[in-house]
Amino acid sequence: MANSKPVMSMYDAPMWESIGRHRLELQTCSRCARFRYPPAPICANCLSLDYRWHPIAGRGTILSWVIFHRQYFDDHVPPYNVVAVQIEEGPIILSNLVGPVPEGSWIGAEVEFCYGEHAGRMQHQVRLREHSSIAAESA
Amino acid sequence: MRPTSANDQSGAEMRDRNLAKVAAVVGVGHTDWTADHGRVRAGEKPHDSYGYAAIAFTRALEDAGLHRDQVDGLIVGPTTAYERVGELLGIDARWGGQADAMLAVIQACMAIKAGLAEVVALVYGNDQRSASARYGGADPVGGGAFLSYVYHAPWGFTSQGALYAMMFRRYMAVTGITEADLGQVAVAQRLAASRNPNAIMQKRITLDEYLSSAYVCEPLHLFDYCLINDGGVALIIAESSRARRIRLDPVYIHGVGRSDLNHGATSLEPRLFDFYRPAQAQSAEQVFNMAGVGPADMDVLQVYDSFSCHIPLALEGYGYCKIGDAGRFMREDGISLDKGLPINTSGGHLSESYMQGWNHQIESVRQLRRECGERQVANCRYVHYSSDVAGKAVSIIYGR
Ligand SMILES: [Zn+2]
Repeated sequence: MANSKPVMSMYDAPMWESIGRHRLELQTCSRCARFRYPPAPICANCLSLDYRWHPIAGRGTILSWVIFHRQYFDDHVPPYNVVAVQIEEGPIILSNLVGPVPEGSWIGAEVEFCYGEHAGRMQHQVRLREHSSIAAESA
Repeated sequence: MRPTSANDQSGAEMRDRNLAKVAAVVGVGHTDWTADHGRVRAGEKPHDSYGYAAIAFTRALEDAGLHRDQVDGLIVGPTTAYERVGELLGIDARWGGQADAMLAVIQACMAIKAGLAEVVALVYGNDQRSASARYGGADPVGGGAFLSYVYHAPWGFTSQGALYAMMFRRYMAVTGITEADLGQVAVAQRLAASRNPNAIMQKRITLDEYLSSAYVCEPLHLFDYCLINDGGVALIIAESSRARRIRLDPVYIHGVGRSDLNHGATSLEPRLFDFYRPAQAQSAEQVFNMAGVGPADMDVLQVYDSFSCHIPLALEGYGYCKIGDAGRFMREDGISLDKGLPINTSGGHLSESYMQGWNHQIESVRQLRRECGERQVANCRYVHYSSDVAGKAVSIIYGR
């Protein structure tokens, strides 16, 4: 087995640097304003090559989730969760839900991005927003 | 060349584009999955990918009653190099290439239609189990072809099973399908495997056993995952008039279809928003129109089942039931050899062997040739094969 590692294309590197600063930034298209995720050389919407880096607001909604019961990496010991979050800016980002988890279905739960160290690198995570209607009292 | 008017031209092109009954399968072969499975478990390595491919090829050739020199096209699977297989089998093809099972069948039809080959051998060998191939973790199989297989690894998200688990969890919430409904797939396919001497897992399971089995990536259980194993499969596909001279019961390819969803693939948009339905609907329209038949005409449905949840997705996407109704369809109408629409009659990837769609092709042919013994579907006339791997929906209709 081995540790997990990020895909680090030349477009990914600035994103990971922003995660290191605890504020996730994504590319926005200079022509149509669409956010790109994963980072990319071109806008799939309008085919513009131009972009600038823009911090996301840091809020989103859980679309789906899974619980890993089998170990695939040294640095991820089951059981652990992965959530698919649609951020307010549009893209779907996969992350880990930390802290309290919803009772019953997690789908529709509102989350906010936070940051934590993992295996020697800073990563984004998400936690339930305080007012989220389906947030549980505690984990 | 005879000049043609614009109308003639477009009419000719319309006819030219149709692959219906252009070609037929005249030979099939496979390696000894159960015996090799036992040997690999005992720590032996019976063959490598090329050895399995070679054995399967000689058996398909023998089944067709052909000599190697009569083969003028060669398509190899993704796990072996084209030139080396051609060298090993002594085939200097006039048309060749490398493709997965589904696209190999379609490409053979295209090459035959274009007059680039007349008898095409499709050859697959894979030593994935004895070579300890990994479908999750660092450097998983397929990671170079699909960014979604590796991109989310920092958060521990890996393996194709997890991608389908994420998709199925949301599909459960949207449609109301339950884990017990999904369990119908593993139970039905194991029933089929119990009647298939080639299947590696022939012991029947109950729904309770399914539900009490361990999760791998929740909500998917161990029994929802395919059976990674060594082996090989080969098919010989010939131009239809030639096929009729080769054997009395060629199995025709009546139609093919394909539609891909690439937009947003790495961030799982086609999985989580669409459940691959738009691709399946387009692929279905193409394949059924080409074949001139519909879902109600199909006697068997074969579905690429790296995971059990491919089956409910295919039932809805290809029009075998209404959107959102697959859970009820599987539970009440049935998907087994004993009840309803028989699906994956060999046991499929879950119980026969994970031959990456290749075993489904030869099972389709054998059902249509009525060679399947205890698991034979009565009066089998049409078999529909479908796959939706990573949102690339491919469909083939085989028939007599
Ligand atoms: Zn744009």
